[in-house]
Amino acid sequence: MRWVAATLCVLPTLASVTHAQERATFAFRGDAAGVWLRQETAPGVVQQLRGPALGAEGRVKYGPLTFGAGLIEGRLDAASGGTGGEAARDLVEGRAFVAARALPWLEVSVGPLLRAYVTDSATERWVVWQGRARVDAPILTARLTSFVELWRGLSSRVTFPPFLAGRVQGGEAGLVYKPPRGPLWWRLAYRVDDALLGGGPGGSETVEVVTLSVGIGR
Amino acid sequence: MKRVAITLALFLALARLHDARAQTARDLVGQGVRAYRALEYDAAVALLKRSLSEDAVGTLSTAERAQALTYLGATELFRGRRDSAAIAFSDVVLLDPRYRPDELIFPPQVTNLFQEVRQATKTVALSVPPVTELRVRGDRFTARVFTSSLAEVAVTLARDDGTPVRELYTGPVADSLAVTWDGFTASGTPVPSGRYVLRVVPRTAAANAPPARQVTLDIDQRTPDTLPWPPAPTSPALLPERTPAGPAVRSLAAGLVAAAAVIALPSIIARNSGGTDARFAVGAAVGAAGLVGFITQRPGRPLVQNVRANAPQRDAWMRRVEQIKTENANRRATVRLVIRAEPLATAERTGSPP
Repeated sequence: MRWVAATLCVLPTLASVTHAQERATFAFRGDAAGVWLRQETAPGVVQQLRGPALGAEGRVKYGPLTFGAGLIEGRLDAASGGTGGEAARDLVEGRAFVAARALPWLEVSVGPLLRAYVTDSATERWVVWQGRARVDAPILTARLTSFVELWRGLSSRVTFPPFLAGRVQGGEAGLVYKPPRGPLWWRLAYRVDDALLGGGPGGSETVEVVTLSVGIGR
Repeated sequence: MKRVAITLALFLALARLHDARAQTARDLVGQGVRAYRALEYDAAVALLKRSLSEDAVGTLSTAERAQALTYLGATELFRGRRDSAAIAFSDVVLLDPRYRPDELIFPPQVTNLFQEVRQATKTVALSVPPVTELRVRGDRFTARVFTSSLAEVAVTLARDDGTPVRELYTGPVADSLAVTWDGFTASGTPVPSGRYVLRVVPRTAAANAPPARQVTLDIDQRTPDTLPWPPAPTSPALLPERTPAGPAVRSLAAGLVAAAAVIALPSIIARNSGGTDARFAVGAAVGAAGLVGFITQRPGRPLVQNVRANAPQRDAWMRRVEQIKTENANRRATVRLVIRAEPLATAERTGSPP
């Protein structure tokens, strides 16, 4: 949580500094999210947790490429619907990527996603290399835009038996609103990530995130 | 080829014969004038009469015939044959009422007798240009009426079948008169195309009344072409004045597709998870945004700025249309007449004397 707070404090300062840059453009956003986690560790054994999270993401657009990194942290507690035995845990998820706009409406990106669930006794870490494709569709010119993004894991590792994840994929959709006045913009999105552990019926993990963000910069 | 050669030779021979005859008549006139000047009046009379004989008809021009007759009259006068002189001078007046003997050539007794005869000989003549092109209401067709002495005449225009079209002049003519016509009938409409007769009728019941004269006019009425209207200004010259359907539909589609994606993502991505109900709120918000985009850009909404920006072009087009309307109205009202005159002819006197 301290990471997120520090990033949020630094973001406006960085945005104002980078505003004068001509060649590179910067954008930052702060996220407030609700996270739902569903883990099926064995057939019929389902754990369901949920909780709030805060996050941030920064982007630097330099020429045709965009470089970015984001972080989200939250606390997940047991939710109804599970088979019991859920232990509360902290969620820390970081992501870095490099993106390029292949078409005016299509952005493709690649980069690693790191996710960790920290309990009092153990830490479960995920490392997934993602390939993403994002489609932007304007609703009201550039002021109100909807987007749909899909991604697929190119390779993955998890520090939890069976240590190798199978199919890992996800998607996100939502909209971005840029008011006609003022530097801030708003973003509302729903994201779902799903992984099959070990590539078989051994288990699965699904993370859903609803995010309300406020951003600055382009 | 042989026939052609023969025809050509005959044609050339006839032409030469005509030239020779004309040359002979002119030579005779010249010899008669020289005999008159040499005071050889008998020879002069003989030569001049030969030049005016039947054989020479058509070989001399009107001016040459008038000259020959004048010399003949003068010669007869000096021979003491005043009646013959008067007959010759009368023929001159009938031939051309405008003709006057040259006072530098002929002595006063000749010119005085000519004036007496001219006053006594009643005749009229009519002169029109061979081709006249005029705009009705603007231009006028002019015919000249000549009289040898004061005469009451009526100048009328009729169709060639005799149907009266318009009376152009009624009244006295002392010497000459220019009669003009604006191209209209008596009812005030431009005359249609056709053949017409312009007639000068002396209005006297006297026995020595001159014959009427007439000329046939071939009139062709030509209505001018009208100008086409200028093409109405359209895109891309004009900015669109109403919002098109495309952006609104695209906005709605963008919102609805994204909303559907939000709702359907769990079933597409994670088949074992039903997904959280919170996504419906997100989907509803995205769908509502699409609806807002559609309503904001709804088709057919007036674009006031574009309407204002297009106004000068539209006004210029309207002004141009009004100009062309006015020009076309003028053109439709301006009928052109092409009048071709045939040779002058003597007519039967059909007009009733006053």
